[in-house]
Amino acid sequence: MHPNDAELNEYADASVDASRRGEIERHLEACTSCRQVVAELREIARVAATLELRDPPVRSWTRLERAIKLDAATERLPQNSRNSRRTFDLRVQRALREMSVMGRLAAAAALVLATAVGVQMMRGSAARRPASAPAATATAPAPAPAAAAQSVEAELRQAEDHYEKAIQGLEQIANAEQSVFDPRTAATLQKNLAVIDQAISESRAALRTEPASEPAQQSLLENFKAKVALLQDTVALINEMRKGNEAGAARIVSGLKQKGD
Amino acid sequence: MLRYSSLLVVAGLGAAPLAAAAQNPSRAAGAFALREQVDRVRADVAARAVRYQGRDRGPEQTERFSRKVKLGRDGRFTIENISGDITVTGGSGDDVSIEAVKRTRGGAGQLASVRILVDERPGRVEVRTEHTAQNDRVSVDYTVTVPSAAAVDARSVSGTVKVTRVQGAVRAETVSGNIVAASTPKLDAAKTVSGNVDLTDATSDADLTASTVSGTLRAKGLKARALELGSVSGDVLLSDVSCERLSVHSVSGSLEYAGALARRGRYEINTHSGSVRLTLSSDTGFELTANSFSGSIRSDLPVTLGATGSQDDRRRRGPGRGPGHSTHAVYGDGSAALSIRTFSGDIVINKR
Repeated sequence: MHPNDAELNEYADASVDASRRGEIERHLEACTSCRQVVAELREIARVAATLELRDPPVRSWTRLERAIKLDAATERLPQNSRNSRRTFDLRVQRALREMSVMGRLAAAAALVLATAVGVQMMRGSAARRPASAPAATATAPAPAPAAAAQSVEAELRQAEDHYEKAIQGLEQIANAEQSVFDPRTAATLQKNLAVIDQAISESRAALRTEPASEPAQQSLLENFKAKVALLQDTVALINEMRKGNEAGAARIVSGLKQKGD
Repeated sequence: MLRYSSLLVVAGLGAAPLAAAAQNPSRAAGAFALREQVDRVRADVAARAVRYQGRDRGPEQTERFSRKVKLGRDGRFTIENISGDITVTGGSGDDVSIEAVKRTRGGAGQLASVRILVDERPGRVEVRTEHTAQNDRVSVDYTVTVPSAAAVDARSVSGTVKVTRVQGAVRAETVSGNIVAASTPKLDAAKTVSGNVDLTDATSDADLTASTVSGTLRAKGLKARALELGSVSGDVLLSDVSCERLSVHSVSGSLEYAGALARRGRYEINTHSGSVRLTLSSDTGFELTANSFSGSIRSDLPVTLGATGSQDDRRRRGPGRGPGHSTHAVYGDGSAALSIRTFSGDIVINKR
């Protein structure tokens, strides 16, 4: 029996239990496909190690931001970017361990696109932080209200552009490969993408009438995040199913937390 | 509950990974040619499928599988299925009892193409369902009894996963089907894409994650330190719930929460068009931050209002009432933090 994805990940990362390591090594001697998976995992790790350090991708930032909000009142959470990044890194490492090789590759492209969104929104949050907030920007002069509003709107537009690029790429893959799903699942995914599109349209319409509305701005970004997340999960499922590993697809449901990762 | 054979045909071609092609534009031409080849095969598969329709009209053929293996009282049991239901129940003893029924309405010969693999290791039993033929339409329904303290990880692609009276850690996942968990004191995760999630008397020492894309997520008697719940269009209905942290995200689904708030608990709810209704069963004080673009915000509890209103006079229709409000309010000692955000959904807080 083949080692499962998690075990191969751990083996490739040299973090598998010593007792299991020997079994996996023996299996790899005889199994070309598993050897290939391990080789791909190591290649991804090697390439990843050469990448420039970036700020958190938006999906992870969203989850982190949520966790920080929830924790802030009761716990001393990381306030500086180094600690935030460390927390983020731990989350990403865990998420990556749970993803398939193909899923990693597909998600990587979207995450790269989304990174800039996270950066922009982090900047935006800092700009909007009240003067009483304990932040490094507290000493900076507060922007004039009109200028601040324009800045927020510009950031929103920029974030929208990045989301749209990420969504476009993911949609191309998802639309082309819908046939791998059974009709019920395909219909469910399409229907729910349409639900999110409708929500995005509503948020945009609201912003046309009230460009400075914070609930409308937040809603638009939340809906973009939801769409990116659902498309990423859809692509991950497609990859699993294309490998002929339908059971593996169920595992990817772990990633189906379209409402924020 | 039918398996779609074209999946394996396409996979068998070794088609270039989409992601890899996307990363390397120079492969685009090759990928395009390959795509044409895949499309031709798909068309062929579709034509075969039409000719194949008759085979599902025959009488149901079944084949039974039965096996008992030693796991140990606190071992880990894993089961993966492609098409068919999985029912796992906690029982006495050290053994795992696996009963399975393969079903098809095609020829009886198809049943042999599906193998049930049982891997036994100390403290661990894994069951996998292997479809060796590309065109079978065989489903396998599993009924499993495990030692009640065992940990269970059950996954299906198309089928309902039901776990009952298992005391160890439980994860239940499916793509197309329902998740049902009852009397599971260490539930970690319950997830589906197209189906409902029903949790009864489930608890978790740590974080519990439950989600569905389109189905209803319903939980009764749920107790966990932290709950992370999500849907796109499905409703989230929680009754007799108790948790220190709650995070609910939905796009069009509504949330109904009936239960207590924990002192110093943290509750975050975010939905676009769904409504939010909290029916609180305790006197725990809370600090409420609620935002909605066009939905109304109403609290039947006597709250002390803080900063209320919006940037638009049109939306100032009275503190905490009417559409389009941002409200900050405190009830009692304000020990719990409640953050609720909707775009058009109404927000209602009342007491049971």
